[in-house]
Amino acid sequence: MPVSPKQARTLKHRSWVAFLVVPPVVFMSLFVVYPILSAFAYAFYEWQGLARGEFVGLANFREVLFGATMAPTVWNAFLHNVYALIALMIIQNGGGFLLAWLLYKEPFGFRFHRVAVFVPVVLSTIIVGFLWKLFLNPNFGIINQALYSVGLDSWAKPWLGDSSTALGALILANAWHFVGFPTLVYLAGMQRIPSEIIEAARLDGTSEWQLLKNIVWPLVAPSTTILFTLLFIGAFNWFEIPYVMVGLDGSPFGSTDVLGLVFYRTAFGNQSASIQNFGLGSALATLIFLFIVVFASMLTLWLRRREIQF
Amino acid sequence: MAHVSIRDVRKAFGTVSIIKGVDVDIQDGEFVILVGPSGCGKSTLLRMIAGLEDISSGDIRIGPRIVNDVPPKDRDIAMVFQSYALYPHMTVAENMAFSLKLKGVPKPEQKKRVTEAASSLGLTPLLDRYPRQLSGGQRQRVAMGRAIVRDPQVFLFDEPLSNLDAKLRVQMRAEIKELHQRLKTTTIYVTHDQIEAMTMADKIVVMHDGIVEQVGAPLELYDRPANRFVAGFIGSPAMNFIEGRLGPDGLGLPSGAVLPLDMKSQAEAGSEITYGIRPEHLQIAPAGTPGSIPATISVIEPTGSDTTLIVKAEGGNLTVVLRERCALKPGEAVALKPVPRQAHLFDAQGKRIATA
Repeated sequence: MPVSPKQARTLKHRSWVAFLVVPPVVFMSLFVVYPILSAFAYAFYEWQGLARGEFVGLANFREVLFGATMAPTVWNAFLHNVYALIALMIIQNGGGFLLAWLLYKEPFGFRFHRVAVFVPVVLSTIIVGFLWKLFLNPNFGIINQALYSVGLDSWAKPWLGDSSTALGALILANAWHFVGFPTLVYLAGMQRIPSEIIEAARLDGTSEWQLLKNIVWPLVAPSTTILFTLLFIGAFNWFEIPYVMVGLDGSPFGSTDVLGLVFYRTAFGNQSASIQNFGLGSALATLIFLFIVVFASMLTLWLRRREIQF
Repeated sequence: MAHVSIRDVRKAFGTVSIIKGVDVDIQDGEFVILVGPSGCGKSTLLRMIAGLEDISSGDIRIGPRIVNDVPPKDRDIAMVFQSYALYPHMTVAENMAFSLKLKGVPKPEQKKRVTEAASSLGLTPLLDRYPRQLSGGQRQRVAMGRAIVRDPQVFLFDEPLSNLDAKLRVQMRAEIKELHQRLKTTTIYVTHDQIEAMTMADKIVVMHDGIVEQVGAPLELYDRPANRFVAGFIGSPAMNFIEGRLGPDGLGLPSGAVLPLDMKSQAEAGSEITYGIRPEHLQIAPAGTPGSIPATISVIEPTGSDTTLIVKAEGGNLTVVLRERCALKPGEAVALKPVPRQAHLFDAQGKRIATA
């Protein structure tokens, strides 16, 4: 049957579209979708080392969430992730917002400070963890030395060795490491606000606090959406700083244990002693992934409703 | 309402002087327009009155007190910005009530004042809308409403109509003037549009390059401009200028022709002067009419109510506005006859030469 010119054009167009779409779809399928689905699938099997055993259905998930051995560790770690999320939301994102406001007002040397505040972000997490481990050293760390020098000897502590302060110390190190990122994102958001709006608010009689609360904060909502969502994802994937600073066991006494560490210990733990369970690890990873996807999506949708068009 | 006094106010950004010593007195309830070309310092002066810009020297008084170091919120002023500067996350009602809320005005009183202002500006049906849901004209009205509810001593307007289309600008011009007539609040209004200045102001302050060129009522500025800059800036189309030398029989043009002057001036014979004549003060006469300026019609612009002619004459293009319709054609030779006693003479420095 002869092909009409219109049909030929349509065929050509479809071929072109297929040529553009198929390679990335194949690539994504092979290197992203397949590994994720494989990890999901691993969670439904029993594993002996790296050898896959019997199909066990949801047993691994039940063990992770409710099992007498694993569940208390998982829930304890989850709670620490929640603490980290809340604390970082306040210290890291809140601090970033305030720092951005200070930089927005262009104080003396603001160009230098704008760069300086971002420098820790580009440092490797390994280096930051090591630095803070030194700062927090009970004997020669700068924090305790500073406390001694101002006569606050009783405040000095083995910060990473005391279960009441260890998680806080990790959160502080993380906030120091990343506070430059929310600062720059908020600064960009503030610079998008037309200066007349700030001036109109000043003429209307706002104090500095009222200006921040009533005008600036609502108008940087798009920045908040990005930062809160990224922090949420980061807080539940938290691994590097705890791993570098307190090790794989969430010392002392599990007070710094987070889901990332639990997963690592469970899935890859001590291979030589065969203390590792790929099935449980995959189940935990799957649950973390689903939790992050669901709640991060909900958070994003909720935050986007607050965003304003200028 | 308050009297506003500006005394020898100066502003410099580093070594660049923007305002070079300005003195202006604005009476209670007066509508004063600061007008001038871009970069003349009019907006900077307004922002200094608002407290949004520090002053380098001089004094600004609002009422009896010097406000040089008083923060904007304590100056008892309200400002309407060119970009409206509405809070995009607040409804119209919230925008209007915001300053009252900050002052701790009780909610029923807030509502009453917002309702009254909204009603006077035709905003009542829009109170629950957000700024993004409004047209440019509506946003401008909300900005005015936000200023009105504060019941300030002075209103400041910074080119509030520049973002509107021509038709809406004419409508809003009348609304602002009507609003001032009703509220009688001292108003300082900045524009670069001399038509706005002429149509709205009680008093116009013409600024140029950081100084005040002339202060006066609109028609005073139109009829007796103090210098060539004001003469050229006020009036649309702009005044025509012809350069020449003052002789015993009138203005000697470079070609040797003489334009008779029907007025006595204090300028010395033989001095270089500029002859200024407004477009509506030139009449078309038959070519060769004695005492006229020979010209050739270049462009004809009929607007319906009048006709603007661009003509080529000695010394360059001249503009003529005819109230009546005409049957002239481009390329036609004509003579331009100035209306008696309507010319303006300026000396070599551009200052007005007194005539009798």
